[in-house]
Amino acid sequence: MRNRLKVLRAEHNLTQADLAAKLDVSRQTIIAIEKGKFDPSLSLAFKVSRLFEHPIETIFQDAN
Amino acid sequence: MGAKIDAVMAKGLPERDKRNANRVNLWAFGWMFSLMGNMILTKIFDQGAGVFWVLIFAAHIICGVMLVLSYRRFLSQLDEMERKVQLEALALAVGFSILVFSAGSVLDSVGVLGKPDAAVMVVVMSLTYMGGLIIGRIRLA
Repeated sequence: MRNRLKVLRAEHNLTQADLAAKLDVSRQTIIAIEKGKFDPSLSLAFKVSRLFEHPIETIFQDAN
Repeated sequence: MGAKIDAVMAKGLPERDKRNANRVNLWAFGWMFSLMGNMILTKIFDQGAGVFWVLIFAAHIICGVMLVLSYRRFLSQLDEMERKVQLEALALAVGFSILVFSAGSVLDSVGVLGKPDAAVMVVVMSLTYMGGLIIGRIRLA
C-alpha cells in the first residue's frame, strides 16, 4: 500500500516521534508505514485520517 | 545502521508497552528463579523438602500463570507493528520447536539420538523466539 504520511507529516511540521505520540504507536511503526513496509490497521488509518483531516483514501492508496 | 539497532532494541515504544513488558519480565524472572529453587531443593533432598518445597512449587505455578496472563495483556495492548513481530516470532518458535522435537523423536526411535528433554525444548523455543524478533524487527525497520 502506498501512502502520503511523510508528506502530510512534513506539511504539519511534525517529527516521526511527534506523530507516533499523537497516534499512540511507536516511532518504528511510523517509519515502517512511511517506507511502505507495514500496512496500518483500519483503526490506525482512521486515526491518521482524523488527525490530518483528510479522507482515508487520499492518504492510503492500494499499490495495485 | 543506527536505525536498524534502534529497531532491534524496539526503541520508542509507548510508555504503556514498556510498563507491560517490565511486568512480563518480572514474572518471567520469578518463574525462572522458582524453577531453579525447585530443582535445587529436589537435588538436595531426595524425597522433597516438605512444606518449603510445596511453597516454592506453588510460587512457581503462580509465577507461571501470572507470566502467561501478563504476556497476554502485553500482546493485546501492544503497538500494532510490534504485535505483528511478536506473533510471527511466536509462530516461528512453536513451529521450529515442533520440527526439532518430531525429528528428535524419529531419531530416538531408530536409536541415532537420545530423546531431547524439556529443558532443551525451552532453550530451542527461547532462542528461536529471540531470533524471530530480531529478524522481524530488522525486516520492518
